Amino acid sequence: MSDRTYEILFIADPNLGEPEVDALAAQVQGHVEKDGGRLQKMEKWGKKRLAYDVRRHREGYYVLLVVEGTGVMVKEVERRLKVTDGIIRYLTVRVDEELRKAERRKAKRALGEEKRKGRAGSQPARVAEVQQ
Amino acid sequence: MSSQGMGGDSRSFGRPSGRSGGGAGAKGGAGAKDGGGKRYFFRRRKVCKFCADKIDYVDYKDVKLISQFVPERGKILPRRMFGTCAEHQRKLTEAVNRARHIALLPYAAD
Repeated sequence: MSDRTYEILFIADPNLGEPEVDALAAQVQGHVEKDGGRLQKMEKWGKKRLAYDVRRHREGYYVLLVVEGTGVMVKEVERRLKVTDGIIRYLTVRVDEELRKAERRKAKRALGEEKRKGRAGSQPARVAEVQQ
Repeated sequence: MSSQGMGGDSRSFGRPSGRSGGGAGAKGGAGAKDGGGKRYFFRRRKVCKFCADKIDYVDYKDVKLISQFVPERGKILPRRMFGTCAEHQRKLTEAVNRARHIALLPYAAD
């Protein structure tokens, strides 16, 4: 089965220092890779205020990982995220299908615009010919 | 047997429809009053912002975008408020719910 793209966004305990958060992120990356996944991108958003309290924290350290892998991998990674201390919340979203759809739509629209432009461009040209 | 069943049906239909009918009647009356007075409100036609800006994928991470459609209190408002098209409203709802889970948006602010 082909691999899918997922976004794993987790919130780390804000009381942890930067190196500890890095270690956590590396740990998650390790889990991903152990189950045959590949890391595409890692983004650290830094400390952000939470919209509501999560486990008595008002802020959290957001880390986003974009990974490729299978559903089995996600299951295992999520299980590990759940039991990891220092991670107060996580969210995994499959994004490949949605993004592909969006991409297709963009291409379709670009094509439509190209056609329209082509038509608009051709008409004055014809008028010019007639005048000549 | 069958007539009794039908009677039961009509009764069970009759009551709520009677109530909702009253509600609709009241609404209709208000509408008729507006129409009778020939008062027309020309409301600017709302266009779906997502369609206008050609946003195909409503990203839950884009709080700046989503929060335009969610008031301070954190409720998702009906489509008629922002004029979003059905498709984008659906995507927006999904994005808001994801953002809520990860504490980017509130479930309910106090």
